[in-house]
Amino acid sequence: MKLTTKQLTLCAVLTAMALALSYLENFFPLSLAIPIPGIKLGLANVVTLFALYALGPAQALLILLARCFLGAVFAGNMSALIFSLLGGVSAMAVMILLSRLGGLSVYGVSVGGAAAHSCGQVAAAVLTLGNTAPVFYLPVLLLVSLFTGALTGLIAVCLFRALDHTDLMKA
Amino acid sequence: MSVKPSPKLRPSGYDALVALAVVALAAALGFWMWRGGTQQGLTAVILVDGERVEQVALRELDHPEERTLTAGGYTLHLRLFPDGAEMESADCPTQDCVHTGRITRSGQSIVCLPGRVIVRLEGAAVNDGGPDIVIG
Repeated sequence: MKLTTKQLTLCAVLTAMALALSYLENFFPLSLAIPIPGIKLGLANVVTLFALYALGPAQALLILLARCFLGAVFAGNMSALIFSLLGGVSAMAVMILLSRLGGLSVYGVSVGGAAAHSCGQVAAAVLTLGNTAPVFYLPVLLLVSLFTGALTGLIAVCLFRALDHTDLMKA
Repeated sequence: MSVKPSPKLRPSGYDALVALAVVALAAALGFWMWRGGTQQGLTAVILVDGERVEQVALRELDHPEERTLTAGGYTLHLRLFPDGAEMESADCPTQDCVHTGRITRSGQSIVCLPGRVIVRLEGAAVNDGGPDIVIG
């Protein structure tokens, strides 16, 4: 994959933003309201969603992988990598597919991605624990993903509207 | 792979279909998991790092009992009741297991991901094909 300087810079900035958002959402622990392992707002998905539309699937995937690896390194917790990777890649795959179907808005794509992220994280928990017990949480996680997906979709829509007059979307 | 999709910013009816599909999946999974649930003859199965370390027949408990589990560098205090189980306290960073509260139906679990601990409730077998009682 050949990147222009502008694209490379955008990828780096978006990766940094995704990492910052991942850190930021620790201050809004959704698990206090809904006590389920791994439940969170998924604010970093705003960046993935934005990158998918602004830069295309290949660069969005690059940003996602960089965010997952750097997030695990900075947190000093490499065992968390399988959770972010499986969740993130599942969400990305579903969002790429849904964004190409036509007819779906950013909201629908975001909700689909959030649901896929939950499925990926539960799959990671099943693999890590060697037990299917975490599947018990999946129905609640899926319902919560309706709200988190709609929220990240709304933030992404605001971002697209705010940047509509710039040439960022033509990168 | 390199072709960028163009974002549609207004919600459409197709978005509702995605939401409905997610709700349907959640409902189907929830129904599948809860239909076999029972509150009779519960057994608490304690697994640490994939290994079954203990199982306790809850109906045989006269009073609440406590277990201290040490796993993954964390210490968890589990309370077992005649009708369920709850993680009373834990020094793991997420505390999700503590916030889960008391579980009271077969099929329910308390999961501590950092400690790799699972407490699962199993119900009595409804019908094992054998006789209910042997007399004479």
